[in-house]
Amino acid sequence: MSHETIFSWVTFIYFASFVLYLFQVVLDKNFWGRTASLFARVGLAAHTLAIFWRWKASYDLGIGHVPLTNLYESLIFFAWTIILIYLIFEWRIKSRSAGVCVVPVAFLAMAYASIAPGISDKIEPLIPALQSNWLTSHVVTCFMGYAAFTVAFGCGIIYLVQDAIMGKTEKKTGISGRLPSLTLLDALIYQCATLGFIFLTIGIMTGSIWAHYAWGSYWSWDPKETWSLITWLIYAIMLHSQYVRGWHGKRMALFAFIGFASVLFTYLGVNYLPGLHSYLKS
Amino acid sequence: MSKKTNLLLQFFSSVKLTIVLLILIVLVFILASFLPQHRETAEVVKQLSPNAAKLFLFFGLADLYHSPLFYLLMVLLSFNLIICSLQRLPVSLKQYRASCFPEPSGLFENIPDNRVIFTDKEKAQASPILESCLREKYGNSKKSETERGLLFCAERGRFSIFGVYAVHLGILIMIAGAVAGSLFGFEADVNITEGESIDTVRIAHGKEIRKLDFSVRCDKFTVELYDNGAPKTYRSDLSFIRNNQVEYKGALLVNHPLTFADLRFYQMSYGVSPETKAIMTYSDDRQKSAEIALTQGDFFAIPQYNIHAHVLRVEENVMQMGPAVKLQISASGKDFPLWIFQQIDEIAAANPGLFSQVPVFNPGLFKPVVFSLKRLERQYFTGLHIVRDPGVPFVAAGGALMVAGLLIIFLLPHRRIWVKIQESGTKTAIIVAGRSNRHSAGLEKQIAGLRDLIRRKIPS
Repeated sequence: MSHETIFSWVTFIYFASFVLYLFQVVLDKNFWGRTASLFARVGLAAHTLAIFWRWKASYDLGIGHVPLTNLYESLIFFAWTIILIYLIFEWRIKSRSAGVCVVPVAFLAMAYASIAPGISDKIEPLIPALQSNWLTSHVVTCFMGYAAFTVAFGCGIIYLVQDAIMGKTEKKTGISGRLPSLTLLDALIYQCATLGFIFLTIGIMTGSIWAHYAWGSYWSWDPKETWSLITWLIYAIMLHSQYVRGWHGKRMALFAFIGFASVLFTYLGVNYLPGLHSYLKS
Repeated sequence: MSKKTNLLLQFFSSVKLTIVLLILIVLVFILASFLPQHRETAEVVKQLSPNAAKLFLFFGLADLYHSPLFYLLMVLLSFNLIICSLQRLPVSLKQYRASCFPEPSGLFENIPDNRVIFTDKEKAQASPILESCLREKYGNSKKSETERGLLFCAERGRFSIFGVYAVHLGILIMIAGAVAGSLFGFEADVNITEGESIDTVRIAHGKEIRKLDFSVRCDKFTVELYDNGAPKTYRSDLSFIRNNQVEYKGALLVNHPLTFADLRFYQMSYGVSPETKAIMTYSDDRQKSAEIALTQGDFFAIPQYNIHAHVLRVEENVMQMGPAVKLQISASGKDFPLWIFQQIDEIAAANPGLFSQVPVFNPGLFKPVVFSLKRLERQYFTGLHIVRDPGVPFVAAGGALMVAGLLIIFLLPHRRIWVKIQESGTKTAIIVAGRSNRHSAGLEKQIAGLRDLIRRKIPS
């Protein structure tokens, strides 16, 4: 048994959890939702354990460092933050329906980490550029932001589905009755986007401070920096239009969708552009 | 105010403009991240037709982040931010000073009956309890007697109204810092070979050469590798020298810059200089010399035997027999070539009679002196990045202000809670309502929490 084995189990648990969340939306039984949530929690516990295990394993190899230093480790951590933030929101709103859109993202991140070609799951020693106290705070805040945006995206999708169904029937029946109300979803999208925005802001700041110490410039227009700023601006526009122009509902759901696309490009897409953040090129 | 300035003010004070500008900036960023920027420009332009290349350069597409288009957008955004903020400030001040009473119109309308607390207690009995509930939750409570009932008000996070100004001011300070940095700062890259020093640097993105009022010497450059061959440490030991005096010595590592005078030094790159150093010793019957480091072209002498040596070549591998140095030895008025191999013992053992056949391979040819080559040292140069950026403190302060503002806005929203107590038939009715400057989800929760607290304290 190794932490990699646990990670592959966790991948399957998240998949099972996603299927159960799907059952809960389609079949009208609370049982499925409760089981789905239980799976997600068990998965998160095992996931947490395996991350700490990998951390310890790096110390046993004599190159101890926090497991946040390459594409494999970042995908694993991304999935972890998604499930963590999702479960916190699920517990707060007492509704399990967004799980069907959020949990599969975590599952895909885990699956991508283990099966995508060219992603090494080896624990590598830290190259000089990564030997910094800012590494942990930068990566953790950025991924907390990404995860909050993922939950906002999940709520946005549910919003659009709910809106489409309600538009026809005007009544909460069938699947629509098992989805949260539009008002609640709207509030959730706003809350998640806000949380993500704060984390992303701090993530960009810590990255900027780190760049100041490592590269001699707090901002170098590296594609990853530029795209993080694009993502930041998209959510800034979203929050402004909500507050100043009173936009809400469908438009916010669309923003959550566009914002999430930008998050994905910031995280994975820019690796195909030349730049300084090349640690993630696996 | 003239009509023109009025129109201009209106233009800049619109939030629509902000959103349009932000979208344009996003588009510029997307374009810039896909088009090759400054360094690779030359190659791209070469591949374009002359007219396309002209167009490319004219629109600043080669360096969008420093193009007139981007500067214009930033200037417009800054004006927009300043004017928007100034125009809103009086409104916010009014909000800040606004009294709790009279309550906002329509506050207690549309509250369903199941959210109203009914009690048998008299108004006079219940009021102090309500007041204590509000104080418990918010630490403050105000009272006002109206025609329709007794009103209490409590609030939290009033200064949250100003959070948005902190964010906007923070952004402006950061922009100002960036401008200050690009106007009064500079960046330079310089290579220093081990043992050598520099006192001039070539400014990046320009041809200007700047003379420093001190010199930097690289005493030693070290690369450490992990077992798997990945780099572990790049380290330059630097001395900063002014008026021939070493004022400061320090180790420069990646992520650990050094500051001297008003410049910051960063470990950026390194390389192997074309010169290789040979570390040699010589000995006679009695003693061994200290190690001497030699590069091609160096001279050294052994005065007590009147031997002068000139280093002709330093080679990594001669005739598959490993590192060797070719010396020209001048002794008793004659010149002799001499090859000194590092692994001479092994070579001699493998080729018996070597020294009699090839005397120029004999390190002890000039008795009693025996030369020996200890090792070759590759000579490194360190690549330093030198920066002066007077804008950094501004950017840092602006960033901190912005984060503080964001936290205030989103985590401590301004919330006001009103509680009305009135007679309703034989019973007393208590109604809780509130207003917030942000999304209402959190407010609803607080109101529900307060209702629960009141229900516990005042049983119906």
